[in-house]
Amino acid sequence: MGIPGKIGVPMMNLVRLKGVPILQQLHLEERLLRTSSHNWCIINDGTNQPTIVMGVSGKPAELLEIESVLCDQIPVVRRFTGGGTVLVDPGTIFVTFICNKDAVAGVQPYPQPIMSWSGALYNKVFQGIGDFHLRENDYVFGDRKFGGNAQSITKNRWIHHTSFLWDYEVRNMANLKLPARVPEYRLARGHLEFICRMKDYLPRSVFIDRTIEATKTHFSLRSTDLEAIETSANTKFCPSTRLLTMQELETAAKFASQSKVSLSQSFSL
Amino acid sequence: MMISRRILILQKRSFSSVRRILCPYTSQTPNPNLSPAQASASFRSAGSHSSILHFNVPYIAVNRSFFSSHAVADLPVGGIVDVPLAQTGEGIAECELLKWFVQEGDQIEEFQPICEVQSDKATIEITSRYKGKVAQILYVPGDIVKVGETLLKIVVEEAQVLTHVSENPTPTQEGLKNIKPCDSELTKNDICEVLSTPAVRNLAKQHGVDLNDVKGTGKDGRILKEDVLQYAFQKGSIKDPSASLTSASRRQFLGGEEDHPHPSGEVPWSYEDKTVPLRGFQRTMVKSMSMAAKVPHFHYVDEINCDALVELKSSFQSTNSDPDVKHTFLPTLIKSLSMALSKYPLMNSCFNDELLEVILKGSHNIGIAMATSSGLVVPNIKNVQSLSILEITKELSRLQKLALDNKLNPVDICGGTITLSNIGAIGGKFGSPLLNLPEVSIIAIGRIQKVPQFTDDGNIYPASIMTVNIGADHRVLDGATVARFCGEWKQFIEKPELLMLHMK
Repeated sequence: MGIPGKIGVPMMNLVRLKGVPILQQLHLEERLLRTSSHNWCIINDGTNQPTIVMGVSGKPAELLEIESVLCDQIPVVRRFTGGGTVLVDPGTIFVTFICNKDAVAGVQPYPQPIMSWSGALYNKVFQGIGDFHLRENDYVFGDRKFGGNAQSITKNRWIHHTSFLWDYEVRNMANLKLPARVPEYRLARGHLEFICRMKDYLPRSVFIDRTIEATKTHFSLRSTDLEAIETSANTKFCPSTRLLTMQELETAAKFASQSKVSLSQSFSL
Repeated sequence: MMISRRILILQKRSFSSVRRILCPYTSQTPNPNLSPAQASASFRSAGSHSSILHFNVPYIAVNRSFFSSHAVADLPVGGIVDVPLAQTGEGIAECELLKWFVQEGDQIEEFQPICEVQSDKATIEITSRYKGKVAQILYVPGDIVKVGETLLKIVVEEAQVLTHVSENPTPTQEGLKNIKPCDSELTKNDICEVLSTPAVRNLAKQHGVDLNDVKGTGKDGRILKEDVLQYAFQKGSIKDPSASLTSASRRQFLGGEEDHPHPSGEVPWSYEDKTVPLRGFQRTMVKSMSMAAKVPHFHYVDEINCDALVELKSSFQSTNSDPDVKHTFLPTLIKSLSMALSKYPLMNSCFNDELLEVILKGSHNIGIAMATSSGLVVPNIKNVQSLSILEITKELSRLQKLALDNKLNPVDICGGTITLSNIGAIGGKFGSPLLNLPEVSIIAIGRIQKVPQFTDDGNIYPASIMTVNIGADHRVLDGATVARFCGEWKQFIEKPELLMLHMK
């Protein structure tokens, strides 16, 4: 249920973070989604170290160049929301909305309406800055993706979170395979031809400020800090987002190489 | 009206005999405690699902613009409710089941979350619309579930009111629509654990057969119609199982299905509306016909004297020593069509309206429209220009059999260059067919009818006349081309010896 702030506009808690590890951020988000009854906006201005984050049913063997991941010792996290795989680092800006199902007027708690609502919000953010669109489920400038989305919808609440590529390291992209499921507009492009950097369009602080301003058109924002949330936390809650163990990755690597062997054998017959 | 594309006649059933088809993809009790990472994908569904769904089964009316994470269920009959995966968003046709929050035997409340699914970017909790006990879970984590397929079965304690979801509510605000479930006896067959379709259950009931006693020969031990009839025959309930099967199949092929009579007084007739969501071939037909309707068609009608064709067929039949081969008119019509196409290749082409290009196809892949129980399908015979009439006969028979069994391969359906619609097999003088895009012409042939004709000196003689209607894309073909092509084809049919003249 929306808790009214200004007349007709529900209240939303704004949490501004910087350099928080992505696993910690996801644990926080999952806890707030499942145990809180408030609306939340979480902005994490970059995470502390490069991490691979897969969607809820992501399979490492299919999505990652595991040998490279193990070699570079990049942590791999499986998050609680759907969607694809991203490699996040200090150049990634995260914006998350966690809302009660009737918090936003006219937005039904289902994937497409929420996605469209977010697209309209970011349209305001990028007005006059670039050729911004919500394209299938991605945020793009022109036909190049700079923001990826994922959602989770529960009985009474929903979360919509985005990782924005403000900047990225080219060599890190080598850890990700070309996914089997891609949006149509991607065509046959590899990672580097498909994505673009938000830093070519606007400074970080401007982006964050404009996002907060756009959010204010829907909610009455109230700043909260992390300590305040964590002290009142429900300690019984156990998040499903987790770090994959080395053993799991090594098993996946073995499986991947076995598949390659049997595939090449079948071709040689 | 496009006779050759008419929607197949829906079966009239009473509500009491309506059952959902059980999901054929699982036959084990899943472990709902498995996380998605742990669950095996051994029950991952594959291939086309549309051939399995019985399109006659009514669904609850759900406005397409309203999405529900509540699993909207079928009308509860005698306590068992089939709970389908409801539509979770526009364009979302299927979801991956991630985890169950309940297991078989659990008591669940209305609006209690029962499972979590993933579609594209979102994980979605599905809540139960009903209060009751989980009877059977039909999918395991990792499975792909199509929207509308039954997720689980719930035993409801009492007849619960069916809710009709309206256009702009939140999930908790729904309009109510009272539908009284029809009186029916809950038999053992209704709540047994065997896999079978509603049609098979009714057939079993008709013959007094307990499905638990029947050995299923279908996939995963599914009980088929043949299994029930065979069992009933052995029991002595019926005289000839193959006769019942053949007549049932024939009725299916022609488009009407009356599986069981309604003895008066036993099963009350229902005049309620039934909503049938279109799936598989029917769904494809919606899309292809909508696109075809945008193309400027013109139709050319002619009559062809089939006396020679009738004689030819008799000759083939009388000299036929192969019991597997049955000669009909169609293969000769197909071969002569190919001969005419050689002279008028523009009739065997595809039009690309963006590039304004016509591709004259080298192969004559002649599609034959077939009415199956799942809808209209057009498999094609490849390279007719290189096939003999006998080879065409065999290939046609192969495709017809596959179509009836709903086992056509994608390669059989793709790559057609022209379509022949033999609506005359069912009846009618001729049809006004719509193009099978991206082809530029389609031919509908009516029934060969014996009609009186006049000689020049006024005497009457009988002639076997077949009316044809050629539908053509007027962006590519003009009347003169089509008329000349038809004349050429007509010549080969009326004088089949000309085929020998061009034989290579």
